[in-house]
Amino acid sequence: MTSSPANRIDTPIVLDTDDDDAQLTDRLLAPLRSKSKVWYALLALSGAGVLLFVATSIYTFVGGIGLWGNNIPVAWAFAITDFVWWIGIGHAGTFISAFLLLLQQDWRASVNRIAEAMTLIAVFNAALFPVLHLGRPWFAYWLLPYPATMAVWPQFKSALPWDFAAILTYFTVSFLFWYTGLVPDLATVRDRAESRGRRMIYGVFALGWRGSAEHWQHYRIVYGLLAGLATPLVISVHSVVSMDFAITQLPGWHSTIFPPYFVAGALFSGFAMVLTLLLPVRRVFHLEEIVTDRHIDAIAKMLLAMSWMLIYSYVCELFIAWYTGDPYERYVFLQARPLGPWAWLYWTMIFANVLAPQLLWWRSVRLSPLALFALSLVIQFGMWMERFIIIAGSLSRDFLPASWADYRPTWVDLSLLVGSIGLFLFAFLLFLRFVPFIPIAEMKGLRREIRGAA
Amino acid sequence: MTGSRQPLVHSAVDDAGSVTRRDFLRVIGSGVAVAGLGACIEPPRERILPYTARPPEITPGIATYYATTMTLGGFGTGLVVECREGRPTKVEGNQHHPASLGAAGVFEQASVLELYDPDRVRTPRQRGGVGGWDAFVSDFALTPASGGTEQGRGLHFLLEPTASPLTLSLIDRIRALHPAVGFTFYSPLAFTGAMEGARAAFGRPLQPIYDLSRAAVIVSLDADVLDAHPFCLRYARQFADGRRLRTRRDGMNRLYVVESAFTTTGGMADHRLALRAGDVADVATALLAATATPEEVRPLIPLLSRAQSEGPATSWVRAAAADLRAARGQSVVIAGAEQPAAVHAIANALNAILGSIGTTVRFIEPLLPAEAPEHALTALAAAIDARAVDKLIILGGNPSCTAPADLRFSERIRNVRSKAYLGLYHNETALDCSWVLPGLHYLESWGDARACDGTASFVQPLIRPLYDGRSVDEVLAVCGGLPTTSAHALVRELWSTQPDFQALWARSLERGVIENTASPPVSAALDWAGVLPVLAAERQRAARDSIEVTFRLDPKTLDGRFANNPWLQELPHPITKLTWGNAALLGPETAKRLGIETGDEVSIAFGGGRISIPAIVVPGHAESSITLPLGYGRSGEERVARDVGVNVYPIRTRGAPFIIPDAVVRGVKTGSSEPLATTQGHFTMEGRAIAREGTLAAYRADPRTIVPPHEIAPSLYEPVAQSGDQWAMTIDLSVCTGCSACVIACQAENNIPVVGREGVLKRREMHWLRIDRYYTGPAENPRVISQPMACQHCEKAPCEYVCPVNATVHSPDGLNEMVYNRCVGTRFCSNNCPYKVRRFNWFDYSFGVPAVLWMQRNPDVTVRERGVMEKCTYCVQRIRRAGIQAATERRALRDGEVVTACQQACPTRAITFGSLDDVDSEVSRSRRQERSYAVLGELGTEPRTRYLARIFNPSPDLTV
Amino acid sequence: MPALFPKWSDSLLRACFVAFVVSAVALPTFAMIWVRTPFVSGKGDPVRQPIEFDHRHHVADDAIDCRYCHDLAERSRYAGVPPTSRCLNCHNQIWNDSPLLATVWTSYFRDEPIPWVRVHRLPDFVYFDHSIHVNKGVGCESCHGRVDRMARVYQVAPLSMSWCLDCHRSPERHLRPLDAITAMGWRPPRPQEEFGRTLRTLYGVREITHCSACHR
Repeated sequence: MTSSPANRIDTPIVLDTDDDDAQLTDRLLAPLRSKSKVWYALLALSGAGVLLFVATSIYTFVGGIGLWGNNIPVAWAFAITDFVWWIGIGHAGTFISAFLLLLQQDWRASVNRIAEAMTLIAVFNAALFPVLHLGRPWFAYWLLPYPATMAVWPQFKSALPWDFAAILTYFTVSFLFWYTGLVPDLATVRDRAESRGRRMIYGVFALGWRGSAEHWQHYRIVYGLLAGLATPLVISVHSVVSMDFAITQLPGWHSTIFPPYFVAGALFSGFAMVLTLLLPVRRVFHLEEIVTDRHIDAIAKMLLAMSWMLIYSYVCELFIAWYTGDPYERYVFLQARPLGPWAWLYWTMIFANVLAPQLLWWRSVRLSPLALFALSLVIQFGMWMERFIIIAGSLSRDFLPASWADYRPTWVDLSLLVGSIGLFLFAFLLFLRFVPFIPIAEMKGLRREIRGAA
Repeated sequence: MTGSRQPLVHSAVDDAGSVTRRDFLRVIGSGVAVAGLGACIEPPRERILPYTARPPEITPGIATYYATTMTLGGFGTGLVVECREGRPTKVEGNQHHPASLGAAGVFEQASVLELYDPDRVRTPRQRGGVGGWDAFVSDFALTPASGGTEQGRGLHFLLEPTASPLTLSLIDRIRALHPAVGFTFYSPLAFTGAMEGARAAFGRPLQPIYDLSRAAVIVSLDADVLDAHPFCLRYARQFADGRRLRTRRDGMNRLYVVESAFTTTGGMADHRLALRAGDVADVATALLAATATPEEVRPLIPLLSRAQSEGPATSWVRAAAADLRAARGQSVVIAGAEQPAAVHAIANALNAILGSIGTTVRFIEPLLPAEAPEHALTALAAAIDARAVDKLIILGGNPSCTAPADLRFSERIRNVRSKAYLGLYHNETALDCSWVLPGLHYLESWGDARACDGTASFVQPLIRPLYDGRSVDEVLAVCGGLPTTSAHALVRELWSTQPDFQALWARSLERGVIENTASPPVSAALDWAGVLPVLAAERQRAARDSIEVTFRLDPKTLDGRFANNPWLQELPHPITKLTWGNAALLGPETAKRLGIETGDEVSIAFGGGRISIPAIVVPGHAESSITLPLGYGRSGEERVARDVGVNVYPIRTRGAPFIIPDAVVRGVKTGSSEPLATTQGHFTMEGRAIAREGTLAAYRADPRTIVPPHEIAPSLYEPVAQSGDQWAMTIDLSVCTGCSACVIACQAENNIPVVGREGVLKRREMHWLRIDRYYTGPAENPRVISQPMACQHCEKAPCEYVCPVNATVHSPDGLNEMVYNRCVGTRFCSNNCPYKVRRFNWFDYSFGVPAVLWMQRNPDVTVRERGVMEKCTYCVQRIRRAGIQAATERRALRDGEVVTACQQACPTRAITFGSLDDVDSEVSRSRRQERSYAVLGELGTEPRTRYLARIFNPSPDLTV
Repeated sequence: MPALFPKWSDSLLRACFVAFVVSAVALPTFAMIWVRTPFVSGKGDPVRQPIEFDHRHHVADDAIDCRYCHDLAERSRYAGVPPTSRCLNCHNQIWNDSPLLATVWTSYFRDEPIPWVRVHRLPDFVYFDHSIHVNKGVGCESCHGRVDRMARVYQVAPLSMSWCLDCHRSPERHLRPLDAITAMGWRPPRPQEEFGRTLRTLYGVREITHCSACHR
């Protein structure tokens, strides 16, 4: 990594290593064997986060939503913001793997599994919040259509049952997709494992994969199908989530642009999170030849593109608010947000989501891991802000000035957010340790192609 | 839900404040409720404990109603009280009673909670001694008429002024037997300015009774007759009747108000003049000068010419004078209770000159002592100092807290050898006394009372005393050594002299009034000789720039007697929307002068006392004037009242009980360290047409300038199936005074919990019905408009289509139903409610309370558990009850048969409720008015609650 | 490389898959059936009362009308469990020395209620009103069953919401003439469906299925 980025950029799309299959495999399996202190340290740290999350969740179940800062009119605030934020993050993964697979962007191979894992964890995280957020979570199953002795059914006009379905589907498909891709590599781990115990465990998960031509053929079909299935979901999930807001008539929520707007935002934060995770991993495990600067560069460009989709949405919102002449809309967009009590939030968000990403116009920034890492954090922070402003901000300034009120989070709200981040990292660390996070098989395949080409 | 159906027989509360199990589960043959809302698991088998012999008057499951009377400030208000299986649960007005006319104010409504207050005194106790009534009696009571004028020397009674025939007769009888026994009357609720004014104008103390229904022009000289007056319910109704528009051609009375603080009356004014209370006298004088012709007021000319020349707010005065003259005989001038005799004298003079006496105002012999209470108390203090009092019996009230500070009355009480306090609470006075005796709540006691027009009525109990209490009359009788001592016997004894007593007794108990007992009007001839000196007497008038301080009875706790009532503590102040506390009210300019803002504190020193109290800046408050509400910062042992708000009595002295012309006032920047728990933070409409208003002239010219025609917005959702009655409500903003009686009525009817100060600060108040209050008009002299806001029962309800579990749905009779037991608490409905009238149970608000409070709960309304939404139901329990009644009788519901709690309480009848299915129903007719509109109608919610735009009637000579 | 797993492990794996899918369907199904059983609804287990009061004897043998004891049924929400005094209206004359009545006498003279055990329990958020049902032609038997054949009274209906709705959606199936309200074992003169329809129009019975009819 000594030579200047300038010439590194014309390296082949993936991989510039000379070691043969065996060596490559070894390198990719190295992390599973590593006994790094750092890993244990991080695990402990994030573990504390998990405990915090569990503790505060139980506290909420026992004590009630009153322990949060929510009020009337601001009946939704932190929890729902966290939910939307995590769901958003859980987008890039499937997008990268499925979309790029269909578009035959081979370079995806070296990053897709990390992205997918991230997706799964994020979506799982997100799914916790709506339940936690219910006044009577023990009746959450009433949102499911089943023949109850009450002879009452869910109300399908409401967006929440849609949510329920959308998220469940997305999680299931993403999981299958991820797992299918994993099978051959699990087999590799099985075969390379020293202890019988490891071999047995990985053996079970490898589902008896032997890498026969027949296996590969089935594998390709299933993988392709799942990719085809997953791709539309990337769009649908966050569109549905956005409808939780769009179908209402609350100024600031009531907007037809929400679905694309939210999807863009989701991918934006998603890609940011990919960088947040990828950069350190790449550094720690010395994968520069596998996750090349080209990858990073590509993702950075993606970010830039998404930031512009977002900017477009922001402008649209403002314009429409002004153009409709609707006093309530106008107040929310042209007064409450930029000038109201939470103006500082709004402008921080503008900085994080609109201004900061423009740095990516400079190649030097795109190729500086440190800058990118920082930027990725800023962006995720900004995206959380955006959701909070949309959700709590709009609620606090609706139709009747008499019912306006502000919102202040309690320590429980904050703990749940921090805790969920801990939960996320915890799961991700386990993933790094026990699952080959760079698809070995695909890498080998790719390398042959490149070699062939060369 | 626990408790929602617990019936209770009389005297069923043990000392722990919990209901004893046996009585608790007892009574009806239909058992009790045990499980919570989410009762999905089979609980252990319940027991059903029927009566051993069911009392004939009780039919389990069917409410019974009794007429009784609540006495406040010495005067009675007739009520009808709902009783469920022996428990009084809801107070309502008595239409036959002159002071009620069917309405009930906040205090009457909230009094039912006071009955079940766990903090009540339970047993007679002597500090560091034996307890029990016998011990008390042997200590204090006189032996029956052992004769001898010395008998009873040193024994002294301190009571609140009262017009009760029974109490007064008992006092007379005791005086006759024991001339040496002393009686003193004191209460901050007693005002004598009016009687002094009458003494000046007519030569003797008289009590004015107004008839606002016949007044075309009303001038209020700092008189809050619509809210703070023993007859306010009646006056509010009469005022509203003179203002209610059914068509554009209807006439409207005109109200001029001059006042310092914004009051409910001031909020209704067509022309409000904000002025220091101390300057009202000048305005009155100027008004007299401008109204009367020289020959009418020849003796006064020198005085008046001065007044005229320096009269403030000349235009206001001229316009008022012109209107008064124009409406001779149909106008009335009313002086405020806190105002000095001079103002009342002028008001009397004006009424006399304008020929209003006999039409809009009549005078009766005073029913309360004419002596100023501060004066009376001073005499008692002197007697105590002279060691002339060795047995002091304080019957009710709370003088230790409310007596003028310079009397240091608390200490003086402690100096008396033996002193006893009879009351409901262990308040400051109780703590000063050696004996504390449990008093009786009016719902537990027998007695009688007079309304302030003299109409007498009986007080009859609805429940046997919860504790070992005695009524004031009973203690008087016992201590006075009278033969009969049971209140029931006493009151019968007193009235048995009436012809045909049995019939009268039965009829009066049933109707709630004793017919033909109103005091006859007495002739009152104006005599300038008396008025002249009063006017000439140089008032200590404040320098123009000095800051005046006025004391006001708080609209929620009065002098502090209701401070332990959570409903009232959490009731938002009509103007400031402040709950759980009081604040100094002052105008923006004054605030600037003191360099403070809302939330900062003002520190006020006067008469050796000093207080420091948070301030609220109220646009429209008179400048150079600060209003201090009494009744907070209580230091008794009442758990709710204790340390809520600031006690302002320490600077209230005999010399200046109502107005301090110039106190030492200092602004203290606290950066609102102590946040004020208000339920509304934003008081302007941001140019949105929410609470619409306009002038009568404009309305007549073209209603569309006030209420543009409402077109129904297209909707994607299919309309809900409608069948049968179609329930709807109309609220007339022209007559809504914002008095908040409806809010408490709703709370009592629907088992609505209180959330406490912390809850309000978090904006989690649970009131189903709130009253939004906006400023309109010019910033320097704003008007206020009050808009009751509850669930609008939209035909296209935004809340319904976002609920994922069908917990809020529409009924065929047009109700937006809230099904608590189906609710999972997503709160999505609240987000999508443009009116934000839905409330969420953030915690288990209803289950933690002491069991004794369960007795107040309405068994027809589910008590909501944690995590569910709730909101106004149009009192669906009343609709269904009436519906079932009608159905069993095989008939349709009649218009007016279903009355919602808020509608029932409303003194001005601003709320109309009924079925649109009947095109002639009152509600249908009101909706056809040109000023009827839907709030946020442009959203296409098609609310069933409509508002009638507020029309006011300014004088053409004045700009508004 | 030797096989890691024996041959049958494939079949085992497949079996696991199948088991997973099956249980995913079976478990909820079981739960839904379970809540409909008497174990949950409390249907059909005779309740032991503090007094061996035999409805068979009083209703069948003595032909006492239900409303003699449950006198509120026509006027009130509650049918009303009779006050002790009601028992003694007869029993101070007949069987007044029967040991079975000891509890009744003590209750009466000590003024302590007889602790009857509730048989039919509705959740507190349900506002069932006897009077309207009785007045619209729903007989006691329709919900309480053949009380005249019960030594100890038991619950015959599941008292579930769907059970309520069955009748509320098609009342005609359960209507009877007002004079037969308390009759046990009443049979419709004509087929219930059509006879019910006539009564429906006669008594003006509506299909009331909106929530606030029972939940307030």
